Amino acid sequence: MKKLLSLLTVLALVLTLVACASKEDTYELALVTDVGTIDDKSFNQGAWEGLVKYAEEKNIDYNYYQPTAKTTDEYVAAIDLAVKGGAKNVVTPGYLFENAIYVVQDKYPEVNFIILDGAAHNVVDWDTMATMDDSDVDFRLEDNVYSIFYKEQESGFLAGYAAVKDGYTELGFMGGMAVPAVVRFGYGFVQGADHAAEEMGVDINVKYHYTGVFWPTDEVQNTASAWYQGGTEVIFAAAGGAGNSVMKAAEQNDGKAIGVDVDQSAESTTVITSAKKELAESVYQCLTEIYNETSDFFIAGESVVMSVNNNGVGLPSDFSRFESFTEAQYQEVIDYLKNPPVELASDAISSVADVPVNVATVEIVE
Amino acid sequence: MDTLYFLLRLSLFSAIPLMVVALGGMFSEKSGVVNIALEGLMLIGAFTGIYALNLMQKAGMSGQMLYIYAMLVGGVMGLIFSLLHAYASVNMKANQVISGTALNLFTPALAIFLARMWTGTQQVNFNDMFFIQKVGFLANIPVIGDLFFQKAYISTYVGILILIISYYVLYKTKFGLRLRSCGEHPQAADAAGISVYKIRYAGVMISGFLAGLGGVILIVPTTTNFNATVSGFGFLALAVLIFGQWKPKRIMLAALFFGLMRVISNSYSLIDVLAKLKLPGEFYSIIPYVATLVVLAFVSKKSAAPLAAGTPYDQGKR
Repeated sequence: MKKLLSLLTVLALVLTLVACASKEDTYELALVTDVGTIDDKSFNQGAWEGLVKYAEEKNIDYNYYQPTAKTTDEYVAAIDLAVKGGAKNVVTPGYLFENAIYVVQDKYPEVNFIILDGAAHNVVDWDTMATMDDSDVDFRLEDNVYSIFYKEQESGFLAGYAAVKDGYTELGFMGGMAVPAVVRFGYGFVQGADHAAEEMGVDINVKYHYTGVFWPTDEVQNTASAWYQGGTEVIFAAAGGAGNSVMKAAEQNDGKAIGVDVDQSAESTTVITSAKKELAESVYQCLTEIYNETSDFFIAGESVVMSVNNNGVGLPSDFSRFESFTEAQYQEVIDYLKNPPVELASDAISSVADVPVNVATVEIVE
Repeated sequence: MDTLYFLLRLSLFSAIPLMVVALGGMFSEKSGVVNIALEGLMLIGAFTGIYALNLMQKAGMSGQMLYIYAMLVGGVMGLIFSLLHAYASVNMKANQVISGTALNLFTPALAIFLARMWTGTQQVNFNDMFFIQKVGFLANIPVIGDLFFQKAYISTYVGILILIISYYVLYKTKFGLRLRSCGEHPQAADAAGISVYKIRYAGVMISGFLAGLGGVILIVPTTTNFNATVSGFGFLALAVLIFGQWKPKRIMLAALFFGLMRVISNSYSLIDVLAKLKLPGEFYSIIPYVATLVVLAFVSKKSAAPLAAGTPYDQGKR
């Protein structure tokens, strides 16, 4: 009797499971993550939040997919999975997806793809211009691809400008790795700080360093602590989770930190401001336009650039952690950036040593 | 001089957790069970400890006692998870490396899963209210005050306390003698009426407790949230254990050496002599590992590793 009962229980359990699995689950909106996760407090999370916001408002089913490895094949496989799961719009945050999007834009012409920080192409090696299938170099964007770039250099510029205007003269930049977006943040930071220093007629120093990691370690904390101890007053950490180790060092050494990508003021009281990219907002807007079939700003098959001109980058509206930098000054520099006398340096320059500065001393720390 | 104190204080942040976890590994190996699950145990300890901290702080609690509670929670959870390793390697006589690896693979996934379920994100935040600028009059003692009683965490004192207790337990108590005998020659210990199984369980459980606690005291001083990683410190602790030749005092020195080298590799620019040498930072990070290899090469003939470490106890074996 007992055996029979337990058998029945097991059978019932199995049947419920089968019932669950066979239910038709489709997720119309999908996000495929790159190396980070959907709660990395920066890139993927920002994109994910925009997607979730739109989906919840319009009551659309959504899901995310995490590739098993960071290779184009695995990215394509994850996108395959998403499409099989019923995705009609796929968001892919990060330039790492550029090759994958090049493949899937032809493979799934009926699916829309939003790629952040990148555009589709088939180049795998920029030095030799080698392509994925040895065909000619191709930058074709099909009509189902929306490519969104951000002017990180403007965001970094604002952070550097604000810091110097606020009275800091010893600055530091810690990037995760020298990937395009991080490089643009760093160059912008240097130029913004330089611009403010020139206006104010003060000398400033900027230490410039890539930590090599995007996660928190005692080594990043050691480096940051040493900088603070050596006189650095504020460090701009464009390094994902490694920024938390910088903030920790700031807490222990009476230093200040500047956050990245999203408003990171809640992470630590030492964060005076954050160099933001409006990831969530741009994904939300782009999805809105896709569903409304409008193209006010986002145009199918073209790259758009989010900048200060369309509020795509900027600092958080809370200025309370600054000593003297005000919103009025912020508006002024925004106006300056909308019409700069010289274009800001981009990641086309290979070393920060070649970024044009007037008064700032840039010290590269290997 | 200030720079020197600063660097030494900084190195304590990583040296103390390393020492505590390595001491944990020592108890396990001295009893005859190799514990490469230290990394996983640290991680689960760090996760539960920081999560407990998060909950208590949300409830409005504050003060240094919270940190102690978090250490205890992390330690107890490490102990509970170490029972899995103990059961597999003592009762089931499984390969100890494999069951340890299984724990190392299992715990990060579990931590991420639970963190997502409970807090919605992979990171578990906490407020650092434990950093002590100065410990009263003690801070004014020359040298010692500068090193230990300024800009410090109580975990430093907890670590030193654990070191003293470990030394005492291992060499001055009946339990310590039994523990060591089980790791050297379990058959002889058994013949003398000692329950090898119980002693080995105890050894692994102590290591679980210390590893879990070590996880908490690594995360609190070095970052602002738990992000499902202890950055390989569990494995580093194994290297410290070997470099320290399974002896508490040497483990302490080894941990300090590792900690100091980690700091120097990232902040050598502060030291004029080293800054002038212009050696890359990596050079200093390599030193501890090269030193471990050299020590291993020299002492391998009469290595102090417990003889029976790694072999399951088989009563029938002669």
